[in-house]
Amino acid sequence: MPTMRGTITIAQESRFQMVEHHGATHLFTLAPNASSEPAQIAALAARQARVRVKYRRGDNVLANVAERIDIDLAPEIAPGVTPGPASCT
Amino acid sequence: MAKIVTLREQRVMPHGSALDRFHHYDGTTYHGRSQLKPAPFENGIVGTYIFLAGLSGAAAVLSVLAATTGQSSLRRVERRSRYLALAAPILGAPLLIYDLRTPKRFYNMLRVAKGTSPMSIGTWVLMNYSGFSVLSAAAQAASDVWGANQRLQSVARFAAVPEALAGAVLATYTASLMSATSTPVWAAAPEALAVRYGASSMASAAAALTLGEIDPGVRGKLQAITAGALAVEAVAGTIAHRTYYRKGVEAAFQSPSGIAEKLGAKGLGVLLPLGLLAASALLGRRRGALSTAAAIATIAGSAMLRVSMLGVGDQSAARPDISFRFSTPSNLAEAEQDQRGSP
Amino acid sequence: MYVSPRAQEFAQSTLERVIPDESELTAGVRIEPGKSYGFFTDTTVCIGCKACEVACKEWNNLPADNLGLTGHSYDNTGALSANSWRHVAFVETSGNGGVRATREAPFQSGWLMLSDVCKHCHNAPCLEACPTGALFKTEFDTVVVQQDICNGCGYCVPACPFGVVDIGSNDGKAHKCTLCYDRLKGGLEPACAKSCPTDSIQFGEVAELQRHAAERVIHLHDLGVSNAYLYGVPNSPGATGGLGHLNAFFLLTARPEVYNLPVAPTRPSRRVAPSLLSGLMAVAGLAVAAAAILSRRE
Repeated sequence: MPTMRGTITIAQESRFQMVEHHGATHLFTLAPNASSEPAQIAALAARQARVRVKYRRGDNVLANVAERIDIDLAPEIAPGVTPGPASCT
Repeated sequence: MAKIVTLREQRVMPHGSALDRFHHYDGTTYHGRSQLKPAPFENGIVGTYIFLAGLSGAAAVLSVLAATTGQSSLRRVERRSRYLALAAPILGAPLLIYDLRTPKRFYNMLRVAKGTSPMSIGTWVLMNYSGFSVLSAAAQAASDVWGANQRLQSVARFAAVPEALAGAVLATYTASLMSATSTPVWAAAPEALAVRYGASSMASAAAALTLGEIDPGVRGKLQAITAGALAVEAVAGTIAHRTYYRKGVEAAFQSPSGIAEKLGAKGLGVLLPLGLLAASALLGRRRGALSTAAAIATIAGSAMLRVSMLGVGDQSAARPDISFRFSTPSNLAEAEQDQRGSP
Repeated sequence: MYVSPRAQEFAQSTLERVIPDESELTAGVRIEPGKSYGFFTDTTVCIGCKACEVACKEWNNLPADNLGLTGHSYDNTGALSANSWRHVAFVETSGNGGVRATREAPFQSGWLMLSDVCKHCHNAPCLEACPTGALFKTEFDTVVVQQDICNGCGYCVPACPFGVVDIGSNDGKAHKCTLCYDRLKGGLEPACAKSCPTDSIQFGEVAELQRHAAERVIHLHDLGVSNAYLYGVPNSPGATGGLGHLNAFFLLTARPEVYNLPVAPTRPSRRVAPSLLSGLMAVAGLAVAAAAILSRRE
């Protein structure tokens, strides 16, 4: 399952927008079996938290489905530098 | 607790001038797209649940009836129906949870109790039923394993009464579940569907109890109950189809599900068993195979009835010509009359 | 056109924060909890720009869904869904006699457009069907699905007589228009109403909208549009069968089925009691017969 790292910028119910460190924006919705709740997403968006999201492609939508959200504790990444292969699954 | 919906609401005049202009449906659709959305249920799963709920609920009722006769020949029936009554809580409830699209929140069903929602009513009835049926069956099992015990028997019988009351609701509430929607076929004949489901539940329970019964006298009694229930189901089915025709939703039965309803529910489930039971009665009870075949056909037909009716409903919701024909002012007038008739 | 005197206070092009009670400036109504709010959609001035669809998707962070072309005039959205809470319907009518007419009738002569939305029914069937209590009536008299309670049972979907609410296939919960509940709480009018360039979608208090809509119908009749009528006000199509009235109601110029709306929908919960009682009576009757059969002595 692919993983994406970025910042949660906007949250609306169980949908959220995440901006990757190099600037690409993606729309996510929570999977039914994800352990995160919409209220937690709102809290993450309020503090513009850095997260790591395990996701799959959405069915019939231009969005991804977030299976798991982890707080990203990796050190600051310089803009323009893509993360190394270690973070991919 | 939510109040039961009262029917003396603001009376909307069904023949106001605004509605008169659209009294006759002329076949218009919006680019042939469906107007309603069909229920997202997995028909096989929910249909199986409805079948199991009906069978076990009716079995609980028969258990109490057998107990009240006090006849020793019916003790086995009473016992077996207690175990049969476990089908809904043990097999049915997990099916329901599996069919939720966010199953991890299944317990949210217990947040409210709404009289306007048969799904809410059913959740609470199933909860109560499960509690009492497990208690009754456990007492019965303990009594079977560790020898007949008067106290265990009386616990089993004591729990069986509320179990039977909840079971009676289980046997038929699923029809209200389907009718309290806007799906045309389900909404067109709510009373007939409920009678059909209740009768089918009683027939399948009696048939299931027949299968293990060796005493020919008791078997005959159970077969008579099955035949009576099937007759009621047949009448209700005929009335239902007449109503579907009158309300303009009959076209939904020209589909694979409709064929399954005709061949499986009516043919295999009602006409064939009635014929076999009549033959078995005429030939005397020498033909054990006939009555076994009748019982199996009844049970299979009951299951097919539930699954096929779900499919027919989905068809009627997906076809805009059917849903528009159903939501015309003439059907509204009939519905309003029904409301005014009942208190 | 009504312009609030407060508008002069916000004449600058950049604002530091949200204007308090902005709806007073944009919609002419101050939003207060406890009042009943909704939409009046006047299809005779809709130009089919789909700004309402876009604004709804943008504000609510909804993904694009049902990609591809349908071939149904300019309607590529198709229907309301879990990720489309506003849907503009297009119907090309062909003038007089089915032939491309050289002289068209006034107003919406060949092209009907309607911005469809959740009707926020007064006696909402989806709310009455919901067994978890996720669907509730807000303080603004709108119907909203609480996303942290819904477990995707899907019972609201067939309950809706307008085919509005839908279960999202990706997140397994029911979704529909919230009438921008979060915007209402902040004093802003809903995104679709704010973005509508012709004021086809009017936001306000339901009673006031109904009054205004009735005047509009009379005005249209005077202009010669004799087939204009209201859909969803009491005693009219759409508000039948115990639904009461629709907080989001419409002005139509063709029969409702043309726009994919039912003429006479009914309130499903009215069928609960008759169905339950009939079923229980049948089971009781069969139980009595069964008791008689069982107690027969051989």
